[in-house]
Amino acid sequence: MESIISTFHIDWKIIITQAINFGVVFVVLYFYALKPLGKLMKERGEKIEMGLSDAKKSNELLQKATLEYDKNTIKLRQISIDAQKELQKDLEQLRAKNLDRIKMDNEQWTKKRIEQMEIDKKALVEGAKNEIVSLVMLATEKLLGAKNDKNFDEKVLQELKDL
Amino acid sequence: MEKISHEITLFAEPIFHFGNFTVTNALFSSWIVVGIIIILAFVLRIQLKEIPNKLQSIFEIIVDGALSLCDQVTNSRALSMKIFPIAISVFFFILINNWLGILPLGGFGLIEEGEHGLSFIPFLRGGTADMNTTIALAVMAVVGANLFGIFSIGIWKTFNKYVNLKVLGEIFTKIKRDKMVIVTAPVTFFVGLLEIIGEFAKIASLSFRLFGNVFAGEVLLASMAALVAYVIPIPFLFLEILVGVIQALIFSMLLVVYFTISATDHDEHDAEHHEKQLVSV
Repeated sequence: MESIISTFHIDWKIIITQAINFGVVFVVLYFYALKPLGKLMKERGEKIEMGLSDAKKSNELLQKATLEYDKNTIKLRQISIDAQKELQKDLEQLRAKNLDRIKMDNEQWTKKRIEQMEIDKKALVEGAKNEIVSLVMLATEKLLGAKNDKNFDEKVLQELKDL
Repeated sequence: MEKISHEITLFAEPIFHFGNFTVTNALFSSWIVVGIIIILAFVLRIQLKEIPNKLQSIFEIIVDGALSLCDQVTNSRALSMKIFPIAISVFFFILINNWLGILPLGGFGLIEEGEHGLSFIPFLRGGTADMNTTIALAVMAVVGANLFGIFSIGIWKTFNKYVNLKVLGEIFTKIKRDKMVIVTAPVTFFVGLLEIIGEFAKIASLSFRLFGNVFAGEVLLASMAALVAYVIPIPFLFLEILVGVIQALIFSMLLVVYFTISATDHDEHDAEHHEKQLVSV
């Protein structure tokens, strides 16, 4: 033991000084580097973990929402197709109804017009006849110049009427 | 003109005195190491940000890697968190001491009148190339491990690791059930006593291993530099840089192992093992 101590110059004062040196290193490293660094790394780790978990949750929500959206889109599309079909059907019915009504109106109007035209025609013919008669009479009067026979006039009138 | 010799000594050479306290070049180097670590720690503390800069990134990588390594030994993050600060402090203290010793600053030193004429004493000698430093670190590691054991599993269980009074008491309590206890109990008690010698062996192995490796490196570098001054020592310099890291790592890993063993309750472990055996039977 003595030889080891003398060979290596082992000195308890230097041993204690070196122990104090290490103690200082430990205290400084622990309080000024490791503790704050560890705290920071832990906080950052927690943040990252929380972010990842949030991202996972968001992704799940997004997938759910996409699924729901797709489902709703399909449902809505079906509803819209059904509504369109129904609307088309209604429109067809309405068109048919309108066409019928227009046809009927048209027929009625045409009928009325024909009747009116018939009446007008009759009136016109009557008027024309009277006119012709009076013209003929005037012409005859002019031709004859005078009325010789009362019966003659009546005869002529009767013949014209019979025409 | 008298020739100046530079001997490589097994011990650190004194460079100045404070009263009757001798300051050796190894101690002086250790103070420089303490200064470097203090500066680094303060710089790191000042520049600490959530988005790390280069220095912080390097520290974070080292701390994270070292913590993972520590976990592999302890198998428990909670235990690692307790042991890690002391282990990483030991690592940095030894590493920078090792590297400071191989810095090519041999020209700075004193010329003193020695036994064989004038001799050159360098100011810097790796702190770990002095037995006083390695003994101090080894004693702290072993004593620290035992104190950690006391705080972790209790003073009675730690005491029973070395002076196993519990197992001696079992001779009287278990003799009726198991006659073999009269043979196994004294053997276990003796093994406990051997553990005390084992603790001193730990101090010796830790301190001599570190001192031997670092001192051998310095001798190798000095020899190479003496043989061929330029180029040739460079590969050896890189080798010693690597050796410095490896030795620091070995010392800190062994420290973690000693601390973990001290914090392990062997009785509980044995009981669990016994229970598992009974279940399997």
